[in-house]
Amino acid sequence: MSEFILQTKDLSKAFGGLVALKNLDMSIEEGKITAVIGPNGAGKTTLFNLIAGVYSATSGEILFKGTRINSVPPHKRASLGIARTFQHALLFGNMTVLENIMAGQHIRSRYGILEAALCLPNAKREESLILLKATKYLNLVGLGTEKDKEALSLPLGRQKLLAIARAMATEPKILLLDEPGAGLTTLEKRALSDLIHRIIDMGITVLLVEHDMPLVMGLAEKVIVLDSGQKIAEGGASQIQRDKRVIAVYLGEEVEE
Amino acid sequence: MLQWLKKRWIYLVAAILLIIIPFDWFLGKYNTLLIFIGLNTMVTVGLCLLMGYTGQVSLGQAAYYGIGAYFSAILSKTYGVDPWIAMLIAAIITGTFAYSIGYLIFRLKGNYLAMATLGIGIIVWILFRQLSQFTGGPDGMSGIPYLSIGGFVFDTPFKRYYLVWFFTLAILLISQNIIRSRTGRALRAIHGSEDAAESIGINVAQFKVKIFVLSAVFASLAGSLFVHHLRFVSPQQFNFLASVKLVVMAVIGGLASIWGAIFGAATTNILSDELLLNFGELDIIVYGLILMLVMIFMPQGLFVKLKETITIWRARTAKKD
Repeated sequence: MSEFILQTKDLSKAFGGLVALKNLDMSIEEGKITAVIGPNGAGKTTLFNLIAGVYSATSGEILFKGTRINSVPPHKRASLGIARTFQHALLFGNMTVLENIMAGQHIRSRYGILEAALCLPNAKREESLILLKATKYLNLVGLGTEKDKEALSLPLGRQKLLAIARAMATEPKILLLDEPGAGLTTLEKRALSDLIHRIIDMGITVLLVEHDMPLVMGLAEKVIVLDSGQKIAEGGASQIQRDKRVIAVYLGEEVEE
Repeated sequence: MLQWLKKRWIYLVAAILLIIIPFDWFLGKYNTLLIFIGLNTMVTVGLCLLMGYTGQVSLGQAAYYGIGAYFSAILSKTYGVDPWIAMLIAAIITGTFAYSIGYLIFRLKGNYLAMATLGIGIIVWILFRQLSQFTGGPDGMSGIPYLSIGGFVFDTPFKRYYLVWFFTLAILLISQNIIRSRTGRALRAIHGSEDAAESIGINVAQFKVKIFVLSAVFASLAGSLFVHHLRFVSPQQFNFLASVKLVVMAVIGGLASIWGAIFGAATTNILSDELLLNFGELDIIVYGLILMLVMIFMPQGLFVKLKETITIWRARTAKKD
């Protein structure tokens, strides 16, 4: 058993001639917050989609708890314990806030179409358990008073919190957050970092992609910097902030050799 | 008890109405129409589950209605199989057919899926016409036996009204239970966002096929009841226009409204049986027009729109008081 919950080895992804991610070696420590940063087009979202199984890797390996998961279909990765959010919240607009979170409990419940159709006792039992757990995640993100609203009627900040609650409802081991801070106000960002700390306290590993530097530097215990599909730096927040190549990428300065 | 009555009176009224409707002194002379409303409701509910809740279009639903009808007719008439067993076999065959079709076509989305379902609907219709050694060709088949339980034969519209509406209500209740369940949430999630649905572990492809099979089985059961009611079956009843009419019913009732299906089926049937008789072949223009108008002005469906209007109106009058 490795202490790394998630690893990539020599991971590459090419779209035709365009190499979006190149030979990435990355190790995510369990129970910590790791951030992936980099300018637009650096390959951050590609990396997320590879881990979540939306894309399949051109070469290299993705290891979850030491097991290769390259060929695991996306919907099965959730039951392994990998949950994600999207840049745009991608909520289910035809459902209420609470129902969105209940949908997140899908893989943690069993009963099927037949039991549902006939309203069998085990369906009712599981349903009340789903409701109980969903309420827990509803309160975790502080949306308790808005549970019966339509999901898309919420303001953007709250939609993003709801997306996190929905992902948390799959009871993951690792939570991938794709730009959770984008479009949020300062106050909302503060609430977001509190939430991420609470998630870590629950023993869940967090991997996030983010543009907002103050947010990243305040949260992440380890930062990985990507540029043009390649890793150019890795380390603690303060170490990264002093890294010349990172500064060059972000501010466009020439690197003195 | 009084409290219970106050809350549930509407169900009680509906139940009593449903029971007394087919008597001669009430709406007895419309029994045939009411039976068709029930049959079409069964198919429409399946379409609502598929289109309204899961967001997958089917423009060939009449094909599954027809497969159920023809297998029931052929098995019970030509091969002398007990009609109930024929009905079961027809449902299994239709389900299996839908499964194999669904497995292939749900790789498609949007307009392409619509085209594929439409194409399959037309192919099945052609088979009904061309396999004349089994189906009787364009002339169809007649003399199909009635359904019966023990010695009780469903030989009058009055009796068949209860039979059909028993099935219709069962399907409505089953569908409502499914929508409120884990499966229902998965279906609505797929409609909401397929990417997000996959990300929370929903097997999108599998659920699409599952609900497609269920809707086909509903249609097949309706088809079986149909042939044992009319005792006659011909390809015209399951052509492209029939599929379009079914979509019109679902849209009028509100695609995402289970109980709206009754309303949609009733409106469309009354329209085509009573009002559009003189239009002949031109009735498809009227359906097209209705479909467009409803989609443009009340995309949630006429039934849902009416319900909302009543709620708003009641809230207003309550305020005045």
